[in-house]
Amino acid sequence: MLQSLWRALENSGLATSIASGEYAFPLIETFHVIAVVTVFGTIAIMDLRLLGLTSPKWSITSVSQDTLRLTWGAFGLAVITGLLMFVSKATTYMVNPYFLWKMGLIALAGINMGILHLTTWKTIGSWNNGLAIPAAAKLSGALSLAFWIIVIFCGRFIGFTLGVYQPPL
Amino acid sequence: MSIGEQLFQMTEWLRTTWVVDFSLWVSETRPCQWLQEHFIAIPSFQSIHILAIAMLFGSTLMVNLRILGFSGGGHSVAETFRRFMPWMWSSLAALVVTGIILLVSEPVRNMVNPFFWIKMSTLLVTFLVTVWFQFAVSQRLVGWERSTQGHGTIRVTAGALIVLWCLVMAGGRWIAYAPV
Repeated sequence: MLQSLWRALENSGLATSIASGEYAFPLIETFHVIAVVTVFGTIAIMDLRLLGLTSPKWSITSVSQDTLRLTWGAFGLAVITGLLMFVSKATTYMVNPYFLWKMGLIALAGINMGILHLTTWKTIGSWNNGLAIPAAAKLSGALSLAFWIIVIFCGRFIGFTLGVYQPPL
Repeated sequence: MSIGEQLFQMTEWLRTTWVVDFSLWVSETRPCQWLQEHFIAIPSFQSIHILAIAMLFGSTLMVNLRILGFSGGGHSVAETFRRFMPWMWSSLAALVVTGIILLVSEPVRNMVNPFFWIKMSTLLVTFLVTVWFQFAVSQRLVGWERSTQGHGTIRVTAGALIVLWCLVMAGGRWIAYAPV
């Protein structure tokens, strides 16, 4: 049943024009790369500060303010370009383990961030400055870095394994 | 002539140069063969290459957007510059090292490829502009808030560098799509 949904997506007008266009896919992919690079670059700045590894003179909330809009803006662009690439080869991506891991890890990264903001972040006032960062916040920063690094590896491996994992005919 | 045809012509021209013999020679070396024999090597080094450009681009955004007045208002330009410049340069070092490994891993595919040379030319320009930019900014760090002399050119360059790094990334992505 889901298989037919992916197939229907792949056969949609939008998907076929991306798949058949000479430059459409690489062009979308280029914006995806720039977006992902911005997402990771800004998240890493935040996570390294949360881990207490960078500039104690910069309060955690000031680092968050500087990076957050860029992270979300770039994440939005990554999702849009990612969806466009996805529909053009939906059935192939849905049987690719690296793609599925990538999606799972992005979800975990989101949950990790959500938990931080709903729990430890409530007391940010008492650990905003300096390096006396609660273990829970450091753990969150470490997990975030790890999840996003693996997301990037998975993303790169998808391109090398599209021919290895084929959807059922 | 369409862009595709021009790129094709450029590839044809590259085939008549020393690049062919050189890239074939690199293909015979041990490091290249090792990278080719291990399936996970190339995508792994590409991933590290992407992580490195991410750190570089993130640091560049922090400094340049601060100079442009879009972010980092809580810290002075001098503080922002001193905090992120070391990250930028060490990321660039990681980028060059992984880049060389990637070049060795697929020498013919990379070097007999117009996008590779377009990327390298763009990278050279970006590097030179970055060096000038950092020099110009560091000269004015003391008293940045007091005197705006020379800020116009610096701001334009700050924006241009963000675009230039995006073009370098685009060039890297398109190496895989050279018309042959």
